[in-house]
Amino acid sequence: MQSTATYDHDPASTQLLSRTWESPPGVLNWFTHVNHRQIGYRFVVTSLVFFALAGVLALIMRLQLISPENTLLGPDLYNQLFTMHGTTMMFFFAVPAMEGLGIYLAPLMIGTRDMSFPRLNAFGYYVYLIAGIALYTSLFLGMAPAAGWFSYVPLANIAFSEGRGMDFWTTMITFIEISALAAAVELIVTILKQRAPGMTLSRMPLFVWAILVMSFMIVFAMPTVMAGSVLLALDRAFFTQFFVAAGGGDPLLWQHLFWFFGHPEVYIIMVPALGIISSIIATFTQRPIFGYTALVLSLVATGFVSFGLWVHHMFTTGLPHLGLSFFTAASAMIAIPTGVQVFCWIASLWGARIRFATPMLFILGFFAIFVIGGLTGVMVASIPFDSQVHDSYFVVAHLHYVLIGGAVFPFFAGLYYWYPKMTGRLMSERLGRWSFALIFIGTNLTFFPMHQLGFEGMPRRVYTYLADMGWQDLNFAITLAAFVLGTGFLLTLINAVISRSRGDLAGSNPWQAETLEWATTSPPQNYNFRHLPVVSSRTPLWDQSDADRLECVAGLRADRRELLVTTLLEARAQSVLIMPNPSIWPFLLSLAVGFGFLGFMFEPWLFVVGFALSFFMIVGWLWPKKPWLDGEQSYDQSHDQC
Amino acid sequence: MSTTELNDSRFSIDATDLSRFHSGTDAPIWWGIVGLVLIEMSVVAAFVISYFYLLMSNPQWPPADYPVPELMLPTVSLVLLLISCVTMYMAGRTLNKGQVTAFVLYTVASVALACVVLVIRWQQFQDFEFSLDQHVYGSLVWTISGFHFLHVVSAAIGTAVVAILGMMGFFSSTQRIGVVVDTLYWNFVALAWIPFYLILYWVPRLTYTAGG
Ligand code: HEM
Ligand SMILES: [Cu+2]
Repeated sequence: MQSTATYDHDPASTQLLSRTWESPPGVLNWFTHVNHRQIGYRFVVTSLVFFALAGVLALIMRLQLISPENTLLGPDLYNQLFTMHGTTMMFFFAVPAMEGLGIYLAPLMIGTRDMSFPRLNAFGYYVYLIAGIALYTSLFLGMAPAAGWFSYVPLANIAFSEGRGMDFWTTMITFIEISALAAAVELIVTILKQRAPGMTLSRMPLFVWAILVMSFMIVFAMPTVMAGSVLLALDRAFFTQFFVAAGGGDPLLWQHLFWFFGHPEVYIIMVPALGIISSIIATFTQRPIFGYTALVLSLVATGFVSFGLWVHHMFTTGLPHLGLSFFTAASAMIAIPTGVQVFCWIASLWGARIRFATPMLFILGFFAIFVIGGLTGVMVASIPFDSQVHDSYFVVAHLHYVLIGGAVFPFFAGLYYWYPKMTGRLMSERLGRWSFALIFIGTNLTFFPMHQLGFEGMPRRVYTYLADMGWQDLNFAITLAAFVLGTGFLLTLINAVISRSRGDLAGSNPWQAETLEWATTSPPQNYNFRHLPVVSSRTPLWDQSDADRLECVAGLRADRRELLVTTLLEARAQSVLIMPNPSIWPFLLSLAVGFGFLGFMFEPWLFVVGFALSFFMIVGWLWPKKPWLDGEQSYDQSHDQC
Repeated sequence: MSTTELNDSRFSIDATDLSRFHSGTDAPIWWGIVGLVLIEMSVVAAFVISYFYLLMSNPQWPPADYPVPELMLPTVSLVLLLISCVTMYMAGRTLNKGQVTAFVLYTVASVALACVVLVIRWQQFQDFEFSLDQHVYGSLVWTISGFHFLHVVSAAIGTAVVAILGMMGFFSSTQRIGVVVDTLYWNFVALAWIPFYLILYWVPRLTYTAGG
């Protein structure tokens, strides 16, 4: 009875289970896949493509700035490039990359077979893809948006940005938020309702906590930028007056709506990164993370406090002073939860035998880079200082330290760490170390001198500068360094591509980690877990000498997609959910919605057509199949198939 | 399933007899719709706050020469929407008791109420004495009204589909989660009219200064 054989009992039923959960192969079927691993993987890969595109744009900008009065780019193209670079990095790389990791990993970490609304998940991906393709089409047609990633009015109003570029921006931003919101709701419900039996909230992996907090932040932050960009689109298409001072509107309202989203946005990117860091530190020190409760509380606190900071982006807009002081104080307060986390991680690392493999190197890199970004953050949170460096290269330096340190380093760490789970193969350590070294050195050489340029008065978003400003030496060095940095990123991308076929086989748990995603094969089978696991501790795989000996759930059918629903706090088994099969409707719906949004830019009434088409698709999507009382069909009928 | 499986001590939970039906908070879709409502509430909040923000940055509200809004028709809309929440509630109750015909009637009644509201609102669009591109006041009234109008349309179509499925015998007292979540969304759409009604029709009456 103790033999593991009973676990893979009856190969026939295992095969049936695998067929039930299969994503059908073939090009056309690609558009029907709904499995969370497929979708998560697509999110990650697509976000890396956008990362590369935005990186190339950055290098082109740096080439333009290599010498004074360079003529490689004209002012308008330069404006388009930094707008596209910033917009891509924030909306099309960082957020989808983190969501992608969450979509791929969270269901595995909580021990379930799919997410609550698999088709919504697929829909979100297509929306993201369509939005990205549309935006880049505008760039190649030479009519990309050019008002910066925060599109301040009045510059972004129709009076000052005539072409289609801003229309692309407002519609595609609204559109991609749909994708982010869909993923967020999906992740929240999956995490709250589908955890393995026994995985109480206090046993949930920190990465899953981070994804949960991120998702809640998306739910409350993204709607404001959506509302804002819809209002801006109306201002541009129908001449409403929301942001037009002459018509009683207020340009500052745009800044409030944007930054009420925009500041939390930074933490939407960072919070999952914090989850990645905790996961990797625990694994590479081979002991439970220090201060689990403190870490969870600071994640949640970060989520809350970050909603009270947005005005620090508006210090120079002439708002009342008392209000501003409040936001300075609030901005300082965010240092408390961040500090708690850093100390917990230091305590976790203290005296441990750390394994310095590539994922861990990126985590250590994170500490160095992020601390510098945090320090300059404290500096710009003080109003007198901010008034001096506002809109200068100091801010460019600060934001890149924070974003590269806080998002790119942890994301790359996560990539090296979970790549073997996703592909079954390890990435090359040698290339990984080289890549890390180049990225670390490149980041510092590129962005540190920008602080100095800022002090010397170089404004951000200028396409060129005069020779007698004395900025050329630093700019020359920065451009060279940017190529070092770019090479570093390129090495990891090459590494990822090569290792896909040539990497060492990983086995199910190559890093001896403790969480459930490592309890199944790499890559996981169609059904994720042959039997859904039952957990009784925070570190199930460490407490169980043999992963095959985890406790399990029996009695789920193999001939249709079933998974377990558990209670919200204590994760007690509650009911069984029957999941949908692959479906083309999400793709069709995304096309209909995309048609409505893109059509709106050219002929506003096409929006109504898109709206009607979408309804048709939604009904097709939700229309139940006969026999209608599927669930009632007694379990016993297919008893032998389990 | 092999019987050895259930005898194996490692199978500590047996899902065989757990319900395959969900009728409320045990259903992930219920939480999903709550999520959707939270998102939409954030949008509503963004509109309401923007309204007050713009109100405060204008010296006169509504601007000079603008009429003070009439209360009659919007109040009728409000009452009809509130009644429709009751009919939706009754639809759910009758379904629980297995009275499918009554359930269909109540859903159809709700859709009919929504349609009356839509006709009234449409008429009001025709009657607005200001355009959306002259002053931000008009922009707000038009946009918020349009936003809510579209939502009533969606809720009405969705519920019409529920009614059709009901006529085809899809719903029963066990299989009713579709109705539960549709009602949830319906209530949100109906109740969202309250803040909009207040800011669009009451606030300007309170801030109105005749002749400027
Ligand atoms: C490959 C390394 C990178 C380089 C060389 C780079 C370079 C640049 C340059 C040259 C600018 C324009 C500065 C100006 O003219 O004002 C810029 C702006 C910006 N970058 Fe990067 N960047 C890199 C990575 C990133 C990453 C990873 C992110 C975010 C995740 C990011 C986010 C932004 C944002 C938000 C802006 C502001 C855009 C605007 O002003 O509207 N960058 N970057
Ligand atoms: Cu901020």
